[in-house]
Amino acid sequence: MRVVVTGMGIVSPIGIGVDQFWNAAINGVSGITSIQSFDASSQHSRVAGEITEFNPANFLSAKQMEQTDRFTQLALHAASQAMADAGSLDNYHPRRLAVSLGSGMGGFSTFESSAARKFQKKPIPPFSVPRIMANSAAAWIATKYGLKGVNLTCSTACSSGANAIGMALDLLRTGKADAVVAGGAEACVLPLTMTGFEALQALSIGFNADPARASQPFAKGRDGFVMGEGAGILILEKEEEAIKRGAKIYAQLAGYGCACDATHIVAPNMDGQVAAMQAAIEDANIISDQVDYINAHATSTPLGDVIETKAIKQLFGTHANEVAISATKSMVGHSIGASAAIGSIATIMSLHTGTIHPTINLDEADPQCDLNYTPNCAIQKKVQVGMCNAFGFGGNNASIVFTNL
Amino acid sequence: MDIAELETKVIEFIASKAETVDASSITTASRFEDLGFDSLDTVQLLFDAEEAFGVSFDGEEVRGLRSVGDIIDYISKHPPTISS
Repeated sequence: MRVVVTGMGIVSPIGIGVDQFWNAAINGVSGITSIQSFDASSQHSRVAGEITEFNPANFLSAKQMEQTDRFTQLALHAASQAMADAGSLDNYHPRRLAVSLGSGMGGFSTFESSAARKFQKKPIPPFSVPRIMANSAAAWIATKYGLKGVNLTCSTACSSGANAIGMALDLLRTGKADAVVAGGAEACVLPLTMTGFEALQALSIGFNADPARASQPFAKGRDGFVMGEGAGILILEKEEEAIKRGAKIYAQLAGYGCACDATHIVAPNMDGQVAAMQAAIEDANIISDQVDYINAHATSTPLGDVIETKAIKQLFGTHANEVAISATKSMVGHSIGASAAIGSIATIMSLHTGTIHPTINLDEADPQCDLNYTPNCAIQKKVQVGMCNAFGFGGNNASIVFTNL
Repeated sequence: MDIAELETKVIEFIASKAETVDASSITTASRFEDLGFDSLDTVQLLFDAEEAFGVSFDGEEVRGLRSVGDIIDYISKHPPTISS
């Protein structure tokens, strides 16, 4: 039984909708700017990948906006694109339609604003809790489309989106659902969240005057990740059912692997990353030499990009020099729980179009990062097998493999 | 603000929050439930009204607010206490 992707939707700092996103990605457009959504003058990191063109009033009522956090609004928009792209799912019983979503922080925008009000002894919005809860986005997607089957939310920090897509694969393989709306959503370009990551010395602070240069995975001068936001949604179903209903098929979701470092709460570990990639390859029933493209986790932190490079070399051996790698985060920043869903869409588009988007801001690579990262310009390459990596706090590593049919 | 002006503003405000009715069909006698607000929606409506009219809907008497006229009465009897 094969699981296929039949619909996609995305809201990102470089485009809303797959066409706009992909056109910007292959042209190396940066979506990183000075922070506009709040007064960031007291932040050390004052740049982010924000979605400035997004207006929830265009598709939500006043009441729906009051009841939803921004991360849910981003998810709902991406889901509406993906559902429209996939076409009617009326052939499936509603109880067989599932949602599997990832979010690292959930409704943190509401958390921060409601907490600020409480500490000022002001009343808080009555929908604070249902806006903050991490499963809010999945619940709203289900409610909007009448998806009455399994409804799961995965919160594994930066790997949430990958785990959610992997959980969707498991649901389809084990017969617990016939179609799954899967992906990730995050909206945490926020003062408290960013201050938290600043305190961990994880964010870029040296490019506030030149935001478009701030996210530079694998580059010699990189100094941390750039906060991003967004949502990516896939519609997944069994191949034979998709063919039966006449759906267009983008790619096969062939494998999923995950592994926990169990060593450190935030520091990455090569062995765990190797294990996750290995598991995904085995699950896809392929060998590592068949992987043509890796959409790297590559957040632009000094340590993380080196560890991922070492992990790829460890697992792929000499083939590591053959595989094309690129970092979507060089253009959109790090959207935490949405990042692997967005990376998956980039991977699928590479399979679908034979174009690999570049890693921008890569003029001089870190000597310890010595693989082919598709620097600055897109390349044409037939991609039969693509892998998307996601490595999160908690030592959580997840990899997913997509193949052309 | 005189009472007629307040009445107009409250009705316009409620119309902006209602999903199924417009201002022309709202009167002081309209009950929240008849305008499509369930109990949680009504709590949200009062929360938003605090910001819009600078009043604080606090205490037990808020639980008795059922209609548009009740809000107008409440605001007219309680001077602004918070700034939006």
